Amino acid sequence: MKKQILIAGLMALSLTAAQAAGDPKKIVVDGSTTVGPIAKAFAEYYMKAHPDVNITVSESGSGNGAKGIINGACDVGTLSRAMKTEELEAAKGKKRNPVQHTIAFDGLAVVVHPSNPVQSLSKDQLRDIFTGEIKSWQEVGGPNLKIVVISRDTNSGTYETFHEQVTKAGRITDRAEYVGSNGAVRQRVQSTPAAIGYVGLAFTEGLKPVTINGIEATPENVLAKKYPISRGLFMYTAGEPAAGTALGDYVNLYKAADGKKLVAEQGFVPVQ
Amino acid sequence: MLRLGTRKLLDRSFTGMGVLSIVLLAAALLILLAPICLRGISAYVFQGTVEFRRVALEKFQRGDREELKREQAAAARARQPVFAALAAFKKDLDAMPFAERKKYKTDFAAVQDAVKDLLGPLPGEEAPLLMRSQYGQTRWDRAQVKIQQVLFAEDYDFSGGGLGRKVLKPRLEKFRGTKLEPLFAAIEKNASEMLRPQWTFYGRFLTDASHDAHFFGGIGPEVLGTLYLTLGAILFAVPMGVIAAIYLVEYARENRLVRVLRVCISTLAGVPSIVFGLFGLAFFINAAHLSENKSVLAGSLTLGLLILPTIIRASEEALRAVPATYKQAALSLGAGQWHAVRSVILPAALPGILTGVIISMGRAAGETAPIIFTAAVSVGKPLTLLQTFTQPTPALPWNIYNLCSEHVAVDEIRHVQYGMVFSLVLLVLLLNLAAIIVRARISRKLRT
Repeated sequence: MKKQILIAGLMALSLTAAQAAGDPKKIVVDGSTTVGPIAKAFAEYYMKAHPDVNITVSESGSGNGAKGIINGACDVGTLSRAMKTEELEAAKGKKRNPVQHTIAFDGLAVVVHPSNPVQSLSKDQLRDIFTGEIKSWQEVGGPNLKIVVISRDTNSGTYETFHEQVTKAGRITDRAEYVGSNGAVRQRVQSTPAAIGYVGLAFTEGLKPVTINGIEATPENVLAKKYPISRGLFMYTAGEPAAGTALGDYVNLYKAADGKKLVAEQGFVPVQ
Repeated sequence: MLRLGTRKLLDRSFTGMGVLSIVLLAAALLILLAPICLRGISAYVFQGTVEFRRVALEKFQRGDREELKREQAAAARARQPVFAALAAFKKDLDAMPFAERKKYKTDFAAVQDAVKDLLGPLPGEEAPLLMRSQYGQTRWDRAQVKIQQVLFAEDYDFSGGGLGRKVLKPRLEKFRGTKLEPLFAAIEKNASEMLRPQWTFYGRFLTDASHDAHFFGGIGPEVLGTLYLTLGAILFAVPMGVIAAIYLVEYARENRLVRVLRVCISTLAGVPSIVFGLFGLAFFINAAHLSENKSVLAGSLTLGLLILPTIIRASEEALRAVPATYKQAALSLGAGQWHAVRSVILPAALPGILTGVIISMGRAAGETAPIIFTAAVSVGKPLTLLQTFTQPTPALPWNIYNLCSEHVAVDEIRHVQYGMVFSLVLLVLLLNLAAIIVRARISRKLRT
């Protein structure tokens, strides 16, 4: 008798589980650590008005955001770079059609320890530091200290942007240290006087951003297209999400006045 | 043959070494646990400001509305000179000629931001949307840091050449003689009236949902997620593990296949946990499509696989330790093999099996790597039992890592991180304690 009840219970459980699988009341967001704060703020904002929806956000890097869209492991992939041709093809191969939503713009702040007297670098000097041509701070007007180069890992969209716009054909020096998130770069530079790194505009707290070609890394300068290292921040969905659905409303929040405010309050540049 | 004296000396030195190692162990434990407990407790017991009570009332509907109103009115009176000084100086600033305005502009913006950080948005200002900018500091210890930032500008002195030396410059000097001057004295003297710190016990930290990415509220979803994952793993691994152990001990013949199997199980116990995590992603999610995205189910199964070998080995040892005479007696009374196992051997081995389960449970609760790709997210709601089949959850071990390495404002919310570590340690201890009590009960029953 007991056994029968148990079996019946298990069956009921698996049935309801199967039903819950098609549940539209959840949105899974994964990807860029830079877009993370925006995705989290949007999630909180949306869930306040729609308490029956559960939006989960994780930050495992832009590469994983793209993979999530290709494999269908997430509903929204956040990327701090555009999807690459290979990735788009891989998604098409799996019959998924990635749709790009540019939700904000961001600059890459080049950051040093606040005790470092260097105030400004040219883009060429920056490239030479990261490719290892320039090894000491003395060569760019600083103290006689070996430069500790901190870079993001290759899964990161921030890395891709930096590579595309700064180091270009050059290879990042073998002495560089690779870390896994904006926060980790921040902490590494904060604790190392001779370090240099690059982070999204929202992650400069406690660090000194240097000017690049004489331009300060501020949202205003990114918006005016003056600051030389900038990029779009994206959300990707598989197919255009229907308006009026939770997914559609969440992804399109960046167009609303409140969405723009949430973006700006965190130090990013909202879309116009 | 050693002489008696030498033997005694050897004996004594061994005892001494034993005592020493135990003392060292205790010291290590103390060094490890003391900071965890001390800092962790600060998430539960701290001096909460009036802003904390505002959050409690407005977001969690807790506290006395009338009392808070009175308190807010008193705080507003104390804050008034600060806001008045800001407004008066702003007016002066707008009237200044450009060159002079430039002199003050950045410093004034810095003061204004620091005051906003400390006390919340200025009166008459457009309400910010982010919750962290809607409230002032909720904790007196954090408020103290912010007060320093209002009073002093952090600067670096590069005159010595080389790396700069940190110097704190009183902001007052810059604004001496202006209408902003009274602000600094007011903040320095009256900050405690403006924020009204009170010793607070925030026990609901353990169960409250978090607001604005852990800036406010507690760690409820994380705790619940950890419990789900741990219990799920146990639910999966214990039956499988015990059945496998019974088969290996009671039914399998000692041949090469079984020996190979044993080696495999031992090897499995030594596989790094991140490998299990990747396996879980590749198998449960990408290949088996157990759930279309990360989910508690996939995470539990991955953790279950991780602790399976430990449970099998512990159960095997426990079953082997049951005297052979028990089984012989049962069989000679006419019981079948299965009957003997079920009614005689298994009950006798139960305390030993439970020990294995207890150890595994602590491991499952604390493991991070297996759940990164299979179950854990940075923020999410607490799940209902049914949702665990399809949805991912925040979980303590992962969120501790996430807060300390990926969060935008790590330094602002250290107390949450410490609270999580403390709660995780406490949770594992409690789980173990519960299991130990259950085990003690069972073995007492067996003896009578």
